[in-house]
Amino acid sequence: MTAIAEHRGLATGSVVTMASALNQALSDSLGEDDSVLVFGEDVGTLGGVFRITDGLATEFGQTRVFDTPLSESGIVGTAIGMAMNGLRPVVEMQFDAFAYPAFEQITSHLAKLRNRTRGRVELPIVIRIPYGGGIGGVEHHCDSSEAYYTHTPGLRVVTPATPADAYVLLRQAISSPDPVIFLEPKRRYWSKETVCQQHGDIAMDRALVRRPGTDVTLIAYGGALATALEAAEAAEEDGRSAEVIDLRSLSPFDDETVTASVKRTGRAIVVHEASRFCGYGAEVAARLSEQCFHYLEAPVLRVAGFDIPYPPPHLEEYHLPSVGRILDAIDALQWQETAALAEVAG
Amino acid sequence: MTVTVPMTPELLLPPASPVTLLDPTGRAVPGDDHGLPGDDVLLALYRMMVLGRRFDTQATALTKQGRLAVYPSARGQEACQIGAVLALRAQDWLFPTYRDSMAVTARGVDPVQVLTLLRGDWHSGYDPYQHRVAPQCTPLATNALHGVGLARAAAIKGEDTVALVMLGDGATSEGDTHAALNFAAVWKSPVVFLIQNNGYAISVPLDKQTAAPSLAHKGIGYGIPATVVDGNDAAAVYAVVRRAVTSAAAGTGPVLIEALTYRMEAHTNADDATRYRSAGEVDGWLARDPVTRLREHLRDRGLLDEAAIAAVDAEAEAQAAALRQRMTTETRPDPDDLFRYVYAEPTRELRRQQRELAAELGRAR
Amino acid sequence: MPAFVLPDLGEGLTEAEIVSWHVQVGDVVAVDQDVVEVETAKAVVEIPVPFAGRVAELHASPGDLLAVGAPLITVSDDRTGSVADGESGAVLIGYGTPDARHRRQRPSRNGPPLPRTEQPSRPPGRVAVVSPIVRRLARNAGLDLAALSGSGPDGLVTRQDVERAIAARSAGAEQVVRIPLQGIRKIMADKLSRSRREIPEATVWVDADATELLRLRATLNADDAEPRISLLALLSRFAVLGLRRHPELNAKVEDDTIVMGASVHLGFAAQTDRGLLVPVIPDAQACTVEQLSAALADYTLRARKGTLGPADLTGGTFTINNYGVFGVDGSAAIINHPEVAILGIGRIIERPWIVDGQLVARHLTQLTLAFDHRVCDGQAAGGFLRFIADCVESPARILRYL
Repeated sequence: MTAIAEHRGLATGSVVTMASALNQALSDSLGEDDSVLVFGEDVGTLGGVFRITDGLATEFGQTRVFDTPLSESGIVGTAIGMAMNGLRPVVEMQFDAFAYPAFEQITSHLAKLRNRTRGRVELPIVIRIPYGGGIGGVEHHCDSSEAYYTHTPGLRVVTPATPADAYVLLRQAISSPDPVIFLEPKRRYWSKETVCQQHGDIAMDRALVRRPGTDVTLIAYGGALATALEAAEAAEEDGRSAEVIDLRSLSPFDDETVTASVKRTGRAIVVHEASRFCGYGAEVAARLSEQCFHYLEAPVLRVAGFDIPYPPPHLEEYHLPSVGRILDAIDALQWQETAALAEVAG
Repeated sequence: MTVTVPMTPELLLPPASPVTLLDPTGRAVPGDDHGLPGDDVLLALYRMMVLGRRFDTQATALTKQGRLAVYPSARGQEACQIGAVLALRAQDWLFPTYRDSMAVTARGVDPVQVLTLLRGDWHSGYDPYQHRVAPQCTPLATNALHGVGLARAAAIKGEDTVALVMLGDGATSEGDTHAALNFAAVWKSPVVFLIQNNGYAISVPLDKQTAAPSLAHKGIGYGIPATVVDGNDAAAVYAVVRRAVTSAAAGTGPVLIEALTYRMEAHTNADDATRYRSAGEVDGWLARDPVTRLREHLRDRGLLDEAAIAAVDAEAEAQAAALRQRMTTETRPDPDDLFRYVYAEPTRELRRQQRELAAELGRAR
Repeated sequence: MPAFVLPDLGEGLTEAEIVSWHVQVGDVVAVDQDVVEVETAKAVVEIPVPFAGRVAELHASPGDLLAVGAPLITVSDDRTGSVADGESGAVLIGYGTPDARHRRQRPSRNGPPLPRTEQPSRPPGRVAVVSPIVRRLARNAGLDLAALSGSGPDGLVTRQDVERAIAARSAGAEQVVRIPLQGIRKIMADKLSRSRREIPEATVWVDADATELLRLRATLNADDAEPRISLLALLSRFAVLGLRRHPELNAKVEDDTIVMGASVHLGFAAQTDRGLLVPVIPDAQACTVEQLSAALADYTLRARKGTLGPADLTGGTFTINNYGVFGVDGSAAIINHPEVAILGIGRIIERPWIVDGQLVARHLTQLTLAFDHRVCDGQAAGGFLRFIADCVESPARILRYL
């Protein structure tokens, strides 16, 4: 995967939202590569229900940026055919749960055609999916289905947590020769960031330490990252120094960055919106148990949604990982085990 | 100012009776506005059907001998398999189902490569780009969307390419068929949808599959012109598909063709067809055999004599023998290949797992 | 029930004669099993049957001529005959449950467990502990994990490390120093043990008046000539001369054979920080006293520095041992295996002695010879030692032997 040489469309010092950063990434990609197409439901004339594709149809024309009939399976299936014939489709599933009709095309073909044909067929397709809750949405609009995709070999799954990273990751995803499920945390579409060069271009399959710390590693991604950072700030006041990692890439997983951190801190918590049972955090916990066992002071904990269908808007706050819940989890990390021995003797 | 004739709903409906150019005895049927294909085409159709059938029966035998895991036979459907493929141009693409191995070999793919999947060595044995044939696989109707997308891409790039999508009667119930027909029509994509209606989806007969007056009648729902053809009449299938390819290539949009035929063998070798259809029904279709029909026609017209027939049969036998010979070679798929093609470059984790398996196999030796 | 017809046997052959059947009606046959032998114009071939089941009918007899395409054998589709217990046989979409025969052998458990991808090495300040239980064990015992040295890979603190530390502390034992017997120390130890084990050793000793020798040495070293002549060098020269007279003492025992050489490769005991070393001066018989002095000094220095190589420490044929430097008189030294004798000299101190009937104080020393009694007897050993003693007492006498 080639890293993008510069944030071409994001001027250093400018303030961008995640939505505008994504829009810029699409525009820049369309501008640089004629084989890139952008399509889906309502992405053309309307510019997308979240305005992520705003203005693109006007700028690049309806042959390259267009609306399709209302069929997610049709969107992904035809994207596969187009990629077989040399184009680079960037398609949108309007909401996370709406992708389910396309699930067969994604798992049986998108993920498998390269392998099936021993590399002759390449599918450089990006499927953009707004996911997660926190926007008071009614049923079917707040799911976090990343585990289904990460469990499918042949797919890359990435998820930006910040505006600047959304630009970088989307451009990398579009350039990737592999199919990429691009999960956009919709609750952060309106979050703002001042662009700076500090973390340049990391590879698409690498995690990033967003906040260094020494006592515990908080591992998060997408919409939950901001919550984890908030919790880290609060924990600092309690005298606990939390290191926060933004995974960015869910598949593949960046073992090196994460295990280096956990071996240093000896304690880890995974934070995600998706429900806990068989959720993504289970994989992270298993890997940390295998690779960092001898350095762990406490079990790897997960702060996740309950094992329930996503709640209605008025009950959403009880389900989503909160700062308080993360702090409670931090407290549960067996600190007495590493307290000075003299204190214990008393 | 050009005046285009608008496509009224009536024009989209299939004709009252299936297009037929040769009756079951091989006699030319007059009155259809599809002309009988030229002699060279008919002879080519005949030869390819004989070769195709021999390939098919050899594959069935190989399965009985345990050399293939499974073989879904297209015996009895030769007219569709060959008639459709011969009507394609070199630049067109074929999107086959798992039953269309005969068509895939007719398109030029090496039969041993075609059988790689069924032998169990890999999921597909051929390079799709070499003869413009998509890989065969199990899911039904999903290929239709791929064909539509590929055709759309060709149109965007300004290339003259038609996608021929094969579907069975059962596949028409899948959602992806609906989506594909719809997308193709909205985009006016150069796609020809060929439904080989052989009456059964494994054991489920047509009347449990649809209540439509015919599968071709589904076309009007999408604004797609449709026709029905006698699927055991190679000349008719060829003519109909040829016309559809030409019009799709001209930009008038997709075409839907329903070909009426019959699957002489069971679903696969491990299926017991006697459980759901009668011997009488099967025998009835024997009388409408597509290869016999064309042979009699060509013989009657003096285009084929006994020597020529024997020569084609001998060629088929030789090919079958060569296939048997090549299929007796023991193949040993390389376990390392499991990790090679999942991504453009294997990930760190995949490389680790590859080493794990290699070590395990090393210790086992 | 399909009949299997005589297949095309290739090369344009159209018929074959049945030679013999390998099966009879009622037999159960498997796919690809050879059922019949036929003879064509070119060869005798075995034909395998492509079906499995029970043989229902054989369509020809031995001696019959059968045309290609004619029925050969009919096999009934008797599935129970061909599918083993518990197996599915062919299924709709594949080969079916695998034959136990073809199942891959379970890999052997030899070899080390597979390492994970390279992990960053142990971060500073963090102690790797084999399990949380052990951590708790240490904690309950009030042990600081960081103070323990872990015996596991990469300094991993194991349960044993913790338990040992707990036991050591509760027993009130003092810090025990453990020095492993390894390297040169081990080699020496093994050699000494072997000597004791294998060699039937006897010792002779004699007191000698070294006064004249000391005077001689003082005279030799009166000027500024280098190198300084050492006592050990003089004694070494005496030993070389003695070995010329008693060559059986300059030997080694190899597999029930006494190997005697003309060269004297003289080993001498050197005490170093790392223990006892025995450097070997090769061809000592060709060295002058000066050369011996220089060599002894050089080897001793290198022994103390640790720069001697294996070649410097092997190949000796006789050893000389000045244990007098330790301030003791006698020593029943251990022969340096595979040599047969070792000469020792103790401290030189003034003692009462009788000279010409008068009691006088003389510089006396004790000489000892430990020898392998298989190789030489008391006469040889005594004779050798007496000779050495004579040289010590009257050094001028050796002019006879130069």
